[in-house]
Amino acid sequence: MLSYVVRRCLFALFVLVGVSILTFLLTRVAPSDPAARWVGPRATAEQITQARAELGLDKPLPVQYMLYVSSLLQGNWGISIRTHRPVALDLQQYLPPTVELIVFSMFFAVPLGVFLGVVSAARSGTPVDHGARLLALAGVGLPGFWLAMILQIVFFKWIGLFPLSGRVAITTSVERLTGFLLIDSAIARNLPALGDALWHLVLPAATLAAYPVGNLARMTRNTMLEVLGEDFIRVARAIGAPEARVYFKHALRNVLGTLLTSTTLIFVYSLVGSFVVESVFNWPGFGSYAALSIMVIDYPAIMGITTVVAVSYVVLNLINDLAMAVVDPRIRLS
Amino acid sequence: MVMMVAPALAVSAEEVAVYGYNSDPIVFWDPRDAASDETIWMNNVYERLLHLNFETGDLEPELAMRYEVSDDGLVWTFYLRQDVQFHTGNAMDAAAVRDSILGTKNRGKGLAYIWDAVKSVDVIDGHTVTFRLEYPAPLGLSAASALGAFIYDPKYVDEAWYSAGNDSGTGPYAVKSHDGTERIELAKFTKYWRGWDGQHFDKVVFLKVADATTRRLMVESGQIDFTNQLPPQMIADLGRSSSVEIVKGPSFQNLIAFFNTKKPPLDDPLVRRALAYTIPYADVITSALGGFGQQSRGPVPYGMWGHSDRIKQYTFSMETARALLTAAGYPDGGFKLVLTYTAGDDIEELTAQLWKSALAQLNVELEIRGMPWESHWDYAKGTDPLKRQDIFMFYWWSSYPNPYGYLHYMFETEQEITWNLGYYSNPVYDSLINTANRLTGRNQDEAIDMFIEAQNILMEDVPGLAVFDMQYVRAKNADLTGYVDNPIYTNVVFWYDCHRK
Repeated sequence: MLSYVVRRCLFALFVLVGVSILTFLLTRVAPSDPAARWVGPRATAEQITQARAELGLDKPLPVQYMLYVSSLLQGNWGISIRTHRPVALDLQQYLPPTVELIVFSMFFAVPLGVFLGVVSAARSGTPVDHGARLLALAGVGLPGFWLAMILQIVFFKWIGLFPLSGRVAITTSVERLTGFLLIDSAIARNLPALGDALWHLVLPAATLAAYPVGNLARMTRNTMLEVLGEDFIRVARAIGAPEARVYFKHALRNVLGTLLTSTTLIFVYSLVGSFVVESVFNWPGFGSYAALSIMVIDYPAIMGITTVVAVSYVVLNLINDLAMAVVDPRIRLS
Repeated sequence: MVMMVAPALAVSAEEVAVYGYNSDPIVFWDPRDAASDETIWMNNVYERLLHLNFETGDLEPELAMRYEVSDDGLVWTFYLRQDVQFHTGNAMDAAAVRDSILGTKNRGKGLAYIWDAVKSVDVIDGHTVTFRLEYPAPLGLSAASALGAFIYDPKYVDEAWYSAGNDSGTGPYAVKSHDGTERIELAKFTKYWRGWDGQHFDKVVFLKVADATTRRLMVESGQIDFTNQLPPQMIADLGRSSSVEIVKGPSFQNLIAFFNTKKPPLDDPLVRRALAYTIPYADVITSALGGFGQQSRGPVPYGMWGHSDRIKQYTFSMETARALLTAAGYPDGGFKLVLTYTAGDDIEELTAQLWKSALAQLNVELEIRGMPWESHWDYAKGTDPLKRQDIFMFYWWSSYPNPYGYLHYMFETEQEITWNLGYYSNPVYDSLINTANRLTGRNQDEAIDMFIEAQNILMEDVPGLAVFDMQYVRAKNADLTGYVDNPIYTNVVFWYDCHRK
């Protein structure tokens, strides 16, 4: 296993270098003037020229890239053209809220999606199956921004049950330690803030969970139906195994590999794909940061975002593959 | 009434105001560099020598109790208040004012150019400071500018110190905390020179709320006290809510359509004049702006000095347009123009669409391209004028209340393309506005006449056209009192003057 991990890490390095070069080139050839963005609106020509020199934008592209890589290796991710803050600081600021939101939503989405899929497969062809499939279709088909706004109108404006937006109430403050509000408020033993943070998570997490619930339900149902036709399932039933054990132990185990992969991909995609949900719920997260950075071609931030996402894909896929080897003894790491 | 079912939080006796803003309130931390949205909180943390009252046009005392101007307009003397303290604990004096202004000017960032006329700043005594100018200039307007004129503690000039969330202002509020660039909280500065008698807010929170629907719901439910820039279509609905008050006021923002004067057929002034007659101004105001604005009369917007009824105004007249096109050699139209605007701006898009429909009547095809701002601007600065757009549409506004800010940047000859996006060059015009600018400090009436003459040159040559002057429409908590709309301090609420009924 160790050699497999080492090989994958080495391969990942090539991937990261390739991604960084490609992203650097794309951001630099896209029509924009980062120097003008840097100095602010209504800048004069002299200010823009001065900024261009300050930012090193007057140097040849290969030199700029090498300077960037050199800084990166020393832990300097550059300064965001848009926020004027170190990119590392921005990533530290905006990544935890999104990770917290995704983890919270997946915590409910995965078991709910799997359960729906199992029930749907077990009751295949019945109204229960049709209903579950309709729910799953709604989950993957409904636009996230629409769902977000509907939840706000129903649960905030009409019923007044959940907060409209944000991570906590406007006047609530929690000392920032990790950036994960649930953890920070727990460490500070600030139970009101912890409760407030949990309550604020509900609507955005529900919105974000819709797609994984639908996706996992459909995938679980389809894979389960294949597995349920296998001989070992017939044997299990023949020897009198309870139906619940047949579905949730014998059959589901064979679906886990597919579910793991799907969950991993959904998680990493959501890092940036959550920007619609973050925008509607005013959630200051990584997705919004990425969207804004791309819109203004904030190239240092885009490089940082791409690096984080690429590393996430690599690391999580590696963990996924290792986990699959544990879950499915037929798999050999090679 | 919305009932919030949430875990009970500690009840605070403090009065906290919340401003929900459509963009990041924090762009720059350093008061010398400020040029953007940070104006909304910096104008509560920092102060300047003078304050411009929009309604009366008077320059009112702020950190300077009074000022004197020499007859030749070259020497301005400010007499400072003696009881002002910076948030850092140091006292404000003439040396601090001198070092503040020169620090901003010499750094050359943000709105440093508003001090271009300043040759030297001298300390006369502890609370008297004199500015000597290279040429007569309206220094009072510079001293009252929304940005670039802040008096800060010059002993604190470290960028990193500011970026860590510190401030060195004299204003009623000081920075208490911030969260990234999206939230900043100010707390009252107990030693503020105006004192805290009467009703005032103890804290002010500035919060980014990008989504307009969310901002609307927040102001309706009382979660925010004030918000800016809601779509016109939302305003009508919101105005029916008893908990919300809509505030309309003039702005110094207008929509400009530049014509590419270097590319046929727009290199012909006759064609440009013809196009000026094809914009359905009334429909644009009604449909695109929801009625919140008026047709421009020259590039200097309504309410700014230098705006005048003596400036020519185009009307919507297809007959006149057709006649001009015929005179230019296009009796049947038959050409295509590319118009670019900033993608995502519904007002610009609808304006372009209405214009397109009108031009179609003359057999002129208008291709409309929405582009991200960076690409939009970059395209207009391409090296080959024939490959650039034909019409460039964007908004212009100035934080510096001087018509020169409009006429110089957008229409004076440029060596390197920046904001003159009609690529216009007219030495007579250039000379006129620069002479007027230097005259302003000595004889404003004569300067105004020259600015009007310059604008009429633009209306004849039509390198670009101001289509409409916008009205700003904002929504606030109906219980919030004390807010005075002042387009010079765009989007700024002076929270010290406000309280809830």
